Amino acid sequence: MEKKKYSIKDDFSMLALLIIPVGVAVNFVGGQLASILKLPMYLDTIGTIFASMLCGPWVGAVTGALTNIVTGIANPVNFAFIPVNVLAGLVTGFLARGKMFSVWWKWIVSMLIMAAVSIVSSAPIVVLVYGGVTGSGTSIITAAAMAAGANIWAAFFGTEGIFTVLDRVISFIICWLVIKVIPPRTLIKFGCGSNYIKESK
Amino acid sequence: MVKTYTEKIQIHKSNKLAGLYPSVKFWVVILYTICTFVLGTIHLTDIGLSLLLIPWFLVIPVLCIASGAFGKCFKALKAVALIALIILVVQSFLVPGGEVLVKFGFVKICEKGLKTAISLSFMIMDIAGIFVWLFQTTENKEIARALEESGMNYKAAYVFTSTLQMIDILSENSKTIMNAQKARGVETEGNMIVRAKAFFPSLVPLILGAVIGSEERVLTLEARGFSLQGEKTHLFNLERSGAEKAVLATAIVITILVIAGRIALWVL
Amino acid sequence: MGTIIECKNVTYFYPLTKEPALKDLNLKIEQGKFYGVVGENGAGKTTFCALLRGFVPSFYKGELQGEVLVEGKKTTEYGGELSAKIGYVFQNPFTQISGVKDTVFEEVAYGLENFGIPVEEIERRVVEVMKLTDIEALAMKSPFDLSGGQMQRVALASVIVLEPDILIIDEPTSQLDPEGTESVFAIIKALKEKQKTIILVEHKIDLIAEYADEVLVFKGGEIIAAGDKREILSDMSLLEQGAALPQVAILGSKLKERGLPIGQIPVTEKQALEVIAKALEERKKQ
Repeated sequence: MEKKKYSIKDDFSMLALLIIPVGVAVNFVGGQLASILKLPMYLDTIGTIFASMLCGPWVGAVTGALTNIVTGIANPVNFAFIPVNVLAGLVTGFLARGKMFSVWWKWIVSMLIMAAVSIVSSAPIVVLVYGGVTGSGTSIITAAAMAAGANIWAAFFGTEGIFTVLDRVISFIICWLVIKVIPPRTLIKFGCGSNYIKESK
Repeated sequence: MVKTYTEKIQIHKSNKLAGLYPSVKFWVVILYTICTFVLGTIHLTDIGLSLLLIPWFLVIPVLCIASGAFGKCFKALKAVALIALIILVVQSFLVPGGEVLVKFGFVKICEKGLKTAISLSFMIMDIAGIFVWLFQTTENKEIARALEESGMNYKAAYVFTSTLQMIDILSENSKTIMNAQKARGVETEGNMIVRAKAFFPSLVPLILGAVIGSEERVLTLEARGFSLQGEKTHLFNLERSGAEKAVLATAIVITILVIAGRIALWVL
Repeated sequence: MGTIIECKNVTYFYPLTKEPALKDLNLKIEQGKFYGVVGENGAGKTTFCALLRGFVPSFYKGELQGEVLVEGKKTTEYGGELSAKIGYVFQNPFTQISGVKDTVFEEVAYGLENFGIPVEEIERRVVEVMKLTDIEALAMKSPFDLSGGQMQRVALASVIVLEPDILIIDEPTSQLDPEGTESVFAIIKALKEKQKTIILVEHKIDLIAEYADEVLVFKGGEIIAAGDKREILSDMSLLEQGAALPQVAILGSKLKERGLPIGQIPVTEKQALEVIAKALEERKKQ
């Protein structure tokens, strides 16, 4: 096949367009399920990660942004976190494109990068917009740490850090399990899909 | 006369405010937000609290009541208020700096803490509140149509509308799958590891099903002329309530007054 | 009547496969005829449908050799406008929903909106099709709150309403009870009377025998038999190839073997009654 010049528009195939709603809905359902099961994590970026892994960074970024826009309809406070979710999509997508999900040690590196990006990008929003507390479970720990005299930034990083890494690990495993069972014939239709097909030569 | 189906799917609103054209509502939101920021810079009392943000918030319940949607808005406002309240409390008690204003035992409220507490929490209440009004008085269908009308690409408009439906469907499906997994003996209660394990069998089939479904949906859309070039028609059309000009004019006048007031305070 | 679709030396491989899903297809589809497509599962029927509609190879990718011409133009050269020429209804009714409409009425109208048809005309056409497919009672219901059979009829209606010249329908009755199946065939018959070209995949061979003009038998990606239905469906050698034939045809051929003077083997119940009555009468005379 001849090599065409790559343009972002190519990323948004019909199939990619339809994966965006699925990704947003998975974010939503994942978050709900996590709260039903009383898990101490948000688990609300699974869909963004999934869309990025299959369709690349730009589709992932749109999935992330749309998630916060749509949940913002019910609770406008979520608008403030749009950049966090967009960045999550971008980073995961570039990692996927760079085949950073192919072997186990690359997974670990990727997950640490993803968690780090998430914490670094949400920290300024949480600290500057909300003064360190968003009203979620973990923010109470942050508040407690602050009360005990810890610096607001340190308190935030300490408590969010562990759970964010765990969050990314679980999210990633779920996406991986799904991708593993998608038939290759379907997988190949996605922009980054061929990265996950084992060569049978 | 029998109503045609095309008439039946239109949204008619008797309330003039709720029935405003969506883009006009959006302008009201923007102007209100601008005013909020401007008012936030006016510091009152000796220690400079942004107290004007508090009466400014009253605009929101008034708007909601006048739009005949207070019940709906109240629910969403409660969620926002909870967050604002937590911020208010945490900030006032925890942020040190400046003079100590109140002190009970080891708890104390400092000047700086109270300042950020009030401006932050009410800024959030105000801005989030006006969005609540917009979204609770406008149906998703109207938002989607307004987006398309304002020049948004039809594909983007499709993604937006489809997302709203997909959330409903997947939420519904996740309940079904979760119940099925429970019936098969997947534990959803117990310690955290047990609960975390339940997360996987509930979510993996859900995502997989949705992905496979998307593949066929591409064919469905293509078969219905989704990527056909040319003008599309729309059965559903937005209506004007007639109060658009008056509302927009009022919003602009108020914004100008607020800004003028701010400038006057600087000059004086 | 002229040729409307033509396959020339078509062989097709799905991506990542070494066995072709379709092999050496050479075929002319004539305008205004009703083609019944039969064969075992995995014989290539659905791939064949996707091929005619141009989804192979544009959507499924993979490797296509040879060419498919629709009205003389290659499917690979068409863009979105093929949707106005060929209506395509596929098996799974649950994914044949636009995903953006709140009512069945709007769902059926969706394609016409995309075509840019004026609103008044949409209303008229949609109501007409809803009556034809017996879904008018569902008009204001959500397309997601329907049973499989209802969804299947909505899917059919959503395509019929576009009034394409060619209709490709892949197992439209899998979710329907016998009554619903009959009504779907009645609809297809009405379409045929409007001079539409119809390509229908269906397992219920008796219905094919009754309604189709021509039959295409698929096996392992190849067409092993094609032609007039009465000829094909009475060819007992196809049974050995794993194809299903109408019960009456099997009966007719058995009776003929036993020496009953049967001229042409019947393929429908009606023909069987006639043929057997005639044979019995002749036997009496002897």
